[in-house]
Amino acid sequence: MSVAPQAPFVALSSLWLLVTGTLCNLRCAHCLNASGPDDPWLPTLDAAVARRALAEAEALGVREVYFTGGEPFLHREILPLVEASLGVAATTVLTNGTVMTDALADALAGLARGARYSLEIRVSLDAPDPETNDRVRGRGTWERAVRTLRALDARGLLPIVTATEIAGGPDTYARFRALLTGLGITRPRVKILPVFPVGRALAAGPRLHATDLDGFDRATLQCAETRVVAADGVYACPILAGLPGARLSDGGLAAALRPAALYHPACVTCHRTGATCRNA
Amino acid sequence: MPERVSERRRVAVFGGVYANAEALAAVLADARRRDAEAVYCLGDLGGFGPHPERVAPLLRAHGVEVVRGNYDEAVAAGAADCNCGYTDPRDNHYARISYAYTVARTPAGDRAWLATLPGHRRIALGPHRVLMCHGSPRRINEFLWESTTPDGLVRRFLAEHAADVVLCTHTGLAWHRALDGGAGHAVNVGAIGRPANDGTPDVWYAILTAAPDVHVEFVRVAYDHETVARAIEAEGLPQEFAATLRTGWWTTCLENLPARERGRGRF
Repeated sequence: MSVAPQAPFVALSSLWLLVTGTLCNLRCAHCLNASGPDDPWLPTLDAAVARRALAEAEALGVREVYFTGGEPFLHREILPLVEASLGVAATTVLTNGTVMTDALADALAGLARGARYSLEIRVSLDAPDPETNDRVRGRGTWERAVRTLRALDARGLLPIVTATEIAGGPDTYARFRALLTGLGITRPRVKILPVFPVGRALAAGPRLHATDLDGFDRATLQCAETRVVAADGVYACPILAGLPGARLSDGGLAAALRPAALYHPACVTCHRTGATCRNA
Repeated sequence: MPERVSERRRVAVFGGVYANAEALAAVLADARRRDAEAVYCLGDLGGFGPHPERVAPLLRAHGVEVVRGNYDEAVAAGAADCNCGYTDPRDNHYARISYAYTVARTPAGDRAWLATLPGHRRIALGPHRVLMCHGSPRRINEFLWESTTPDGLVRRFLAEHAADVVLCTHTGLAWHRALDGGAGHAVNVGAIGRPANDGTPDVWYAILTAAPDVHVEFVRVAYDHETVARAIEAEGLPQEFAATLRTGWWTTCLENLPARERGRGRF
């Protein structure tokens, strides 16, 4: 078997905190890290570990911080952690939008108003219509997520709808924009991601070889500027976090600032599509 | 060979001309009235507006010192797209229209000139070391919005590039942050080719003075935006571009704005 090619480490621009591990109230058909409510295979991140990572990242000149899981709003200390993160850099929380309450939305709006840096909330949907969406994400999830979109927008938080291409065609983006404008959202924000062969959508597929990368600037890969802190270590990729082959360090960030192996079929998707999990 | 560093005490700096020659002429006249010793442009001469062919000659005639933007780099190289750094389909739709128009209207001689522009410039503003770039010191198309540029990142840029002040553009929105009691500064000088998404058609540039501390003043400039909006329409460019010039609200290429900045606009 040939040795996997590597992505260089260029800089720590994006810090991801896998705050709830793979704990989630939903069990979506294509979930990137097979999250769910029963016996999550990756545990929740200790708040003290998250705070240490934020401090390390600040000293390294991090540009932005992302909270993901699992469902980040199931973490007991999510609000103080988001507040701490907003003291360091622009911060994004990726949510399925089904556990948002008015009180939580009020609290987030308060944090956003008081922060120097921008707070972004990304709400996942898989289709602009409830039938298709709920087939992927579970019954009633569309309605709850749409309610969250309205609640956030009403508080000036300008949510970003994040969707995969799993249920859509070439007009997916336009249909989501139409959904949002139909809800009365005047600043519609939509991010479309490809489906990656990982988690519940895992499929046997090709892997990258060094020759695939001839003439390609590996420094443009997201993993050249991203590190992900999970309960069991530090990774270069949010969707490969928890996989032993992707682990760069089982301690702090400093030991993970080194090249990352492009060993997984999902690396092919990133290389082929130029996808980024970042907001833009 | 060591880089030649000009010594200045008062300079005018702008970015993002976006093929808007009327705005450029108005800014150059304003900078002259305000006794700027030198005028700098941080790149992106084309895109959006109707007159790419008029911008380079104006800059050269006024002795403006120019830093290469991603647009200039792409046009000079005959690249497939503007490398603006958008990831959103709607942003890219309008970017493609602008880029094709700009490439078609840029004379070969100007393309050759664009290829000679430096990616960075350095000056001494009094005792302060100033680094000028387009997007960020590390990437020509990095968006340095005020709400997504942490102090820690600015400190890193200043340390890595041995500078006290970093000047950039690319986003189209002006801002200034002084760090550590004025020991370091980050300034996005904004853009003069389209308004600042603030509901007025005026555009902004920056005057920097060594007084002797660094003093940054953002200057608002009104110009004949109606003439430019009509030219956009006459050229068959998107109506959305003309609407932005008339109303001061961005209608396109705003999908990558952070929530903070997006919330200040209408769309």
